[in-house]
Amino acid sequence: MATTETQFMSSVGLIEKDVNGDTLWVWCYPSVDSRLRQVLLSKCCLTQQGRDFHTFVFGQFCRTWYYITTVEVQEPTALNKVTHFSTVVTAKDFNPEKYAALSRILCRMYVKHGTPVKMMEAYLTVLIKGICQSDENGSFLIKDYDVRKAYLAGSIKDVVSQFGMETIILYTALMLKKRIIVHHPRIEALLEFTRALPALTWHRKDWSILHPYVHLSDTELEDLQNCPGYIAGFVDPEVSNRSDLFDVYVNLPDSFITVSQSAKEAMAMGKLHKEVGHLIVQSAEDPERSDSQVIKDISIKTKEILANLLALADKCEDSKITLEGLKQHHFPAATENFLFHLAAAEQLLRI
Amino acid sequence: MEEVDRILIHALNQIGTEVSEEIGSVSQFSSELIVKAVVRCVQVIDPGLGSALPSSLPPGMSARFRVGMSLAQACQDIGYKGEIGYQTFLYSNEPEIRSLLMFLVEKLPRESAETSDQPTGKSVVLQRAIAAAIKAQLSVPWLPVNCRLPLHTETQSAGALYSFHALPLSLSHSSKGPNKKHLKEVKDYQRDFLLPVTAQLSHHASLAASILEQHSTVLSAAQEWDSEWNNQGLLSRLTPQEYRSRKLTRLRKRIKEQLRSTALPSPESAFGSCHSSTDLCELLQSFSNSAPSDHILTKGTHFTHTQKFTFEQESATVTSSVPTGHQSDGDTQHRQQEELASLQQQLQQLCGDVDQLTADMKHMSVTNTQVLNELKQKELTNNEEEDKIQMKKKTLDCLPDTDNSLVKLQALVEASAKRLVNLASQWEKHRAPLMDEHRRLKEICSNQDLESSRKLSEIKSMHEKIRVSTEEARKKEDMYKQLVTELENLSQDVSRSAYTQRILEIVSNIKKQKEEITKILSDTKDLQKEINSLTGKLDRTFAVTDELVFKDAKKDEAVRKAYKYLAALHDNCNQLIQTIEETGTILREIRDLEEQIETENGNKTIANLERILEDYKAIRQENAALAAKVREG
Repeated sequence: MATTETQFMSSVGLIEKDVNGDTLWVWCYPSVDSRLRQVLLSKCCLTQQGRDFHTFVFGQFCRTWYYITTVEVQEPTALNKVTHFSTVVTAKDFNPEKYAALSRILCRMYVKHGTPVKMMEAYLTVLIKGICQSDENGSFLIKDYDVRKAYLAGSIKDVVSQFGMETIILYTALMLKKRIIVHHPRIEALLEFTRALPALTWHRKDWSILHPYVHLSDTELEDLQNCPGYIAGFVDPEVSNRSDLFDVYVNLPDSFITVSQSAKEAMAMGKLHKEVGHLIVQSAEDPERSDSQVIKDISIKTKEILANLLALADKCEDSKITLEGLKQHHFPAATENFLFHLAAAEQLLRI
Repeated sequence: MEEVDRILIHALNQIGTEVSEEIGSVSQFSSELIVKAVVRCVQVIDPGLGSALPSSLPPGMSARFRVGMSLAQACQDIGYKGEIGYQTFLYSNEPEIRSLLMFLVEKLPRESAETSDQPTGKSVVLQRAIAAAIKAQLSVPWLPVNCRLPLHTETQSAGALYSFHALPLSLSHSSKGPNKKHLKEVKDYQRDFLLPVTAQLSHHASLAASILEQHSTVLSAAQEWDSEWNNQGLLSRLTPQEYRSRKLTRLRKRIKEQLRSTALPSPESAFGSCHSSTDLCELLQSFSNSAPSDHILTKGTHFTHTQKFTFEQESATVTSSVPTGHQSDGDTQHRQQEELASLQQQLQQLCGDVDQLTADMKHMSVTNTQVLNELKQKELTNNEEEDKIQMKKKTLDCLPDTDNSLVKLQALVEASAKRLVNLASQWEKHRAPLMDEHRRLKEICSNQDLESSRKLSEIKSMHEKIRVSTEEARKKEDMYKQLVTELENLSQDVSRSAYTQRILEIVSNIKKQKEEITKILSDTKDLQKEINSLTGKLDRTFAVTDELVFKDAKKDEAVRKAYKYLAALHDNCNQLIQTIEETGTILREIRDLEEQIETENGNKTIANLERILEDYKAIRQENAALAAKVREG
């Protein structure tokens, strides 16, 4: 419903870069606490030393999603002494397309009028009514942007085409709620890749594990480590040395995946995994199936496995699985191990 | 000429030829003296050539003749370009002798020029002294131990050798920087208890080494700090303390990163543990315990403990089997078997326990994660539910009067929105000028930065200049001191200032003369030009007149006479001019001849000729005597 969805928006902020080369946080509504502000300033490409200009980046910090749109100021404009600026929208939900569109409108307003008051008016109308007039034809409606569309916007086929059979490692890690770190020097590629990964565990529809843009700073890493399992994207190649932060490390430009020593035992794979891996690859390689169909296939298989697990749980008392219970079924070692850990992840294990 | 002669005599005295006090000029040199002087010069210039020559003129005529020839040859070998032969020495004349002696004196090797080429300074003097001392010591031949005189023990025995071993010293000024506050206790300790440097060391021989080490450390640290501060510190625009503290934090961070990157892989490979130890102490402990130790159970996993247990048990069994080998066989075997069985039982039990524990731990960790997950999720759902409850409560309150409430709510919302926008615009009125002010000030600041960086670069160049100037000043002072000492040591026989004055006078005279000569030359040129033009004019006029008159002369008698007179006049005048010219040339010849007569007169030719005749007669007599001797013997 439109009303509840608008409750997701938390704040809007403005970062400007002026002719002196300073990047400053100049305005926000209603308020942004200083820790988040620091993080947002570090994420904005205007503060970074490199000349890379990223039009749109998003990420998560402390369970808040932030969406940063950066614009270069060009004539004619009411702004003086400003060369670039970024609009930051923070929200509780994951929907990059929605907030990108909203940010674009806000940016255009700001460039045209030179004052954030107009921006705020637009923001308030969206907040209250869920609709906003934009300068181009038409208007911005929140209900045009369904969250499912955001979830499905990532391309799982690309993931499978890049890693082939190794996608099963990612699948296993996600199913067992492990920590995955992805590295790519370019943020756009990182965002695109990581947002597709939670679709492998479609039955959970949990994108809160996704932290697509993280820097190696203490505040962010602390927040990251509060989550038990996550998908984190790093632009900094140094992260490969931080083996305390990950169970699976994905080097995107070179296309290889490594499993860290500490997680090798839990991630042991067997016949079951091979089966699932084949299914994923086959489904993705089929040119006639779209991304959503591939995701559906994978989720069907996942549901099968979970149904089996539930069946096993029902057989035991109080519907909880124990290791002894599993051992009685004489599964092969890897499958037994996987099911055991999966039960823990799905909270089916007896404590 | 006097000064030249004085200089020559002085130079000859210096190289070793004895010239008596009375002789004041070269014209007074006798043949013997000339020969002695020339031989000495040649010996000094070129010892190889000079060794073959006798130092004085022998009595016999033929011998004299031979000596003269060899001396002439030697002089030519040295490089004298003028005409030289035995007659120059035996039958000398003043100008030739003077030029020869001047050439030889100039060729004399100059010691003073060499010393001025060498680098100046006290350190160089010291080095030269050290080099000389070492050379002297090396030149002393090595003798075996028994033959050594006390003179040699200092340089040839091994007892004098000490290795360079520096020990730490405690000096009262060893703390960094004059600004550091000295605590009263430290000062008291330094005053009352701190031993002097010579007493601080256990081994006296290392005193020099320790002091050198200490001083060079402090000096090099100070120099490095100076250079770093001048290059980077000033540019960073921090105070020295800030700069130092920043450097310290930067270095610490690097060390931490390095340790972390190198430390992490090894514990995992050594233990295969599930938990990577973040505590640095544990990390370091794990390095020292990487070899399995029997007694200490380090922080590892159950797997490694199992490993260690099995190995221990095996080693225990091995060791236990060895000492029992000495006792009687049957008894021992029985006992051994009993022991073995019990130990094996124990082992199995322990293995079982360990396995159980392992499984438990694994189970625990997995369930732990599950519970934590559950907890987190529950918390989140709790929060969400709370918010929902709040919302629902408020809606419930509004529920009885839905329509009104809805309208009221909408109105409220719109009013709030309007108020917010109003507040925002008010805030904007305050914010915008502040932002502008901020930017303006930042611009001024950056301009000032440019200024200050420019000034910094100026300061740097000033430092450079100061350094270079101090170097030069030091060098010049050293050179000045050395030259002053040299000047004092120089002999006072010949006064340099008189020479330099005369030289300057002569130079100015020559300049004046040159000016006069050029004037005369220009005058002569002008005269010659005038003469040429007049002659030309004359010829042309005569030609014209001649023609004119000749034309009329054919007709008129008087004109013919006039023509004859004209021709005669022209001829006579020509003759006059010729005579004048001849007179001039003859006068010039007279002058030249007079000059030649003067030079010839100086040659004392007559005296020489007489001597030659005498010597010739003497040689003939000698020849006759020698021939007679040969015929007899």
